[in-house]
Amino acid sequence: MPILPVHAYTSQEWFDKEQRVIFGNTWQFAGLIEDIQEPGDYITVQCGNQNIMVLKGRDQRLRAFHNLCRHRGTQLLRAVGKKQKAITCPYHDWTYNLKGELVSVPEKETEFPDLELDKICLHKASVDVWRGMIWVHPRPDAPSIVKWFEGCEEHLGPHDPTRLVEYPDSTYEKVIHANWKIIIENYIDVYHLAHLHSNTLQMYDHAKAQYGFVGDHYVFWEPLAEKYLNNLDKLIPFKRIAEMTDEYIGAYVPWLFPSLGLSETESTWTIFQVIPLAPDKTKVIVRAKLEPMTNWEYYTQSTKSMASWHGIMGGKTKYGNTDPDDPMASGDFMAEDVFACEQQQKSLKNPLFSVVATAKHQESTVRSFQKVVKRWMEQE
Amino acid sequence: MSATQFYPLKVVGIDKPIKHATTITFEVPSQLEEAFQFYPGQYLNIKFRVKGKEARRCYSLNSCPYTDQLLQVTVKRVKGGLVSNYVNDQLKVGDTLDVMVPDGRFYASVDKEEYKTYFLFAAGSGITPIFSILQSVLTVTTYSSVYLFYGNKNQNTIIFKEKLDELEKQYPQRLKVVHTLSEPKVWTVWKQWKGRKGRIDPKDVEWFISNHPPTAQDAQYFICGPGSMNLSIRKALIGMDVPEERIHIEQFGGAVEALSGDINAVDAEVSVNLFGQPHELFVPKGQTILEVLKEAKADPPYSCESGVCGSCMAKVVKGKAEMKACMALDDDEVAEGMILTCQALPTEAKVEVIFE
Repeated sequence: MPILPVHAYTSQEWFDKEQRVIFGNTWQFAGLIEDIQEPGDYITVQCGNQNIMVLKGRDQRLRAFHNLCRHRGTQLLRAVGKKQKAITCPYHDWTYNLKGELVSVPEKETEFPDLELDKICLHKASVDVWRGMIWVHPRPDAPSIVKWFEGCEEHLGPHDPTRLVEYPDSTYEKVIHANWKIIIENYIDVYHLAHLHSNTLQMYDHAKAQYGFVGDHYVFWEPLAEKYLNNLDKLIPFKRIAEMTDEYIGAYVPWLFPSLGLSETESTWTIFQVIPLAPDKTKVIVRAKLEPMTNWEYYTQSTKSMASWHGIMGGKTKYGNTDPDDPMASGDFMAEDVFACEQQQKSLKNPLFSVVATAKHQESTVRSFQKVVKRWMEQE
Repeated sequence: MSATQFYPLKVVGIDKPIKHATTITFEVPSQLEEAFQFYPGQYLNIKFRVKGKEARRCYSLNSCPYTDQLLQVTVKRVKGGLVSNYVNDQLKVGDTLDVMVPDGRFYASVDKEEYKTYFLFAAGSGITPIFSILQSVLTVTTYSSVYLFYGNKNQNTIIFKEKLDELEKQYPQRLKVVHTLSEPKVWTVWKQWKGRKGRIDPKDVEWFISNHPPTAQDAQYFICGPGSMNLSIRKALIGMDVPEERIHIEQFGGAVEALSGDINAVDAEVSVNLFGQPHELFVPKGQTILEVLKEAKADPPYSCESGVCGSCMAKVVKGKAEMKACMALDDDEVAEGMILTCQALPTEAKVEVIFE
């Protein structure tokens, strides 16, 4: 399937162009709405080559600016912060208010006598809130976010993420030695679910999966496996999500182009963010939210689930060997995926690498994704 | 279609949403349907004949232009008010009133695909244009949300309360109404009032916004009530860094603030371009441009004659004129040369004014 050439996954040149043409030109996940609480609080996000800050104004509205001092380009804010009254550049103390307007320049009268402060503002970016998440776009004239995600909502879960509570223990950050596209192709590969994860994701019925593309985005749903569904009260790891009635129950696992996956299941709501660092290196950040519940509810349910799981669902690890470091013996589907991705990336170096064929239906998703990337790259 | 022409419309409904207000429903003949289309928030300039005299008043349309076939305005009884008492006591179904096509610069342009958050502030009968905007946003747009902060005197004076309750039930994720009463009744047919008490003061504005942070970041703010409330809410919003261009205000009733300082009015030769029609007038010192236009039977546009409604607006292109009072124009417009001719006293001997 040579839709994308090998060097799309290995060359710095291709990588740099992607950063410019895709990541610099699309809506990026910046965080959950609860990450910015009070006016003056802020977070920063990397979008391709541009670092963008999102701050909450005194009017409770979010404003996004490029994290770049107008003086000589110094980065203004670091990572995250709280309760800023103003934004002051560390280099020469040029100061901007929470609306991005330049309000103070030290020694202005003598050093910048002609500078008109009221004509200078931080470079604006776009920010909006969708599905309980903060999204950022490097251009101030970005297309409407509801237009960008048009048609996706009806294929997503019935969850109201704003109601759910983040489960800090589940936060996971890892640098994977693979190209970001390899990771997404793994995420959206339907064929591998029953095989790589034969003993770790068997609670879902992959044979009945429904999937496809809506614009540049991938949508996917599969029902619970019969054994899991029939024993749900015992096996469900956390309190069932209120909106997940029997009519809607299943796993909704979309990929929102270019860099955010969601996993919306009967008891969890998870974001899976991909941050390309280099052609063969990608940072992955995972955060999960759960139905609000008491500590007691949490402990009793997870204990019940762990005790009954293997008795009813069977399986444990893909290969039952005793090497504790073998990801295939980890019983952890993420470790299984990381292994597969890193192996694939390594193989790209072998000049014999080629793809003999791809699954007609269950790997069509991978072919479609590559076509989307190809189309974006051809825009320049 | 002249900008100043009145058309006879038949009154097909007279209803009382509360004891001291009347909703007038007008039927629009099919040949006038297009002319009477409007944006939610706009008003009708209506000519009444009361006690043998002509009286013009502007009333905001509370009907929804996208879903209602008939036009509706609601008139609250004002103590001693000439027209409002006539409407509440004497106007009947079957009567005809002369109505100008809808006008006004206070309106929302809603779009099916838009993604906005609307913060609406209304007091008393100020709910009329706000209600039109609210209904339009909910019925036309797919993704926008509305937060309404609505102040009234007591439980019995809440115009459209039932309709608002119904809409909240119908759109639970997209509409939230917060009521506040300045003088809630203790002894009443209904349950004891458990809602907010008082008016909409600056600290209430801060509470309202902080407790309902916008989801769609494109937020628009619409305010309609007495002049003093409008200004205080606007000030509170600007104090919270709400960008000025997102705030829209319509004034209802309330005393008009006279501009400070004496105006050095002079006798003036005023050239008026009235929608293409030229008029050369002599405006004696102390008379407004509108007064002289009316005397000359030039048929200029006007309604409230108090500097509030904005119907008589024109642009000064040569010379200078100053206004006795000005509620309907903002600072930018005044800087551009816009003027309310019902308040305008020429301050230079040669003035040129254009109505367009």
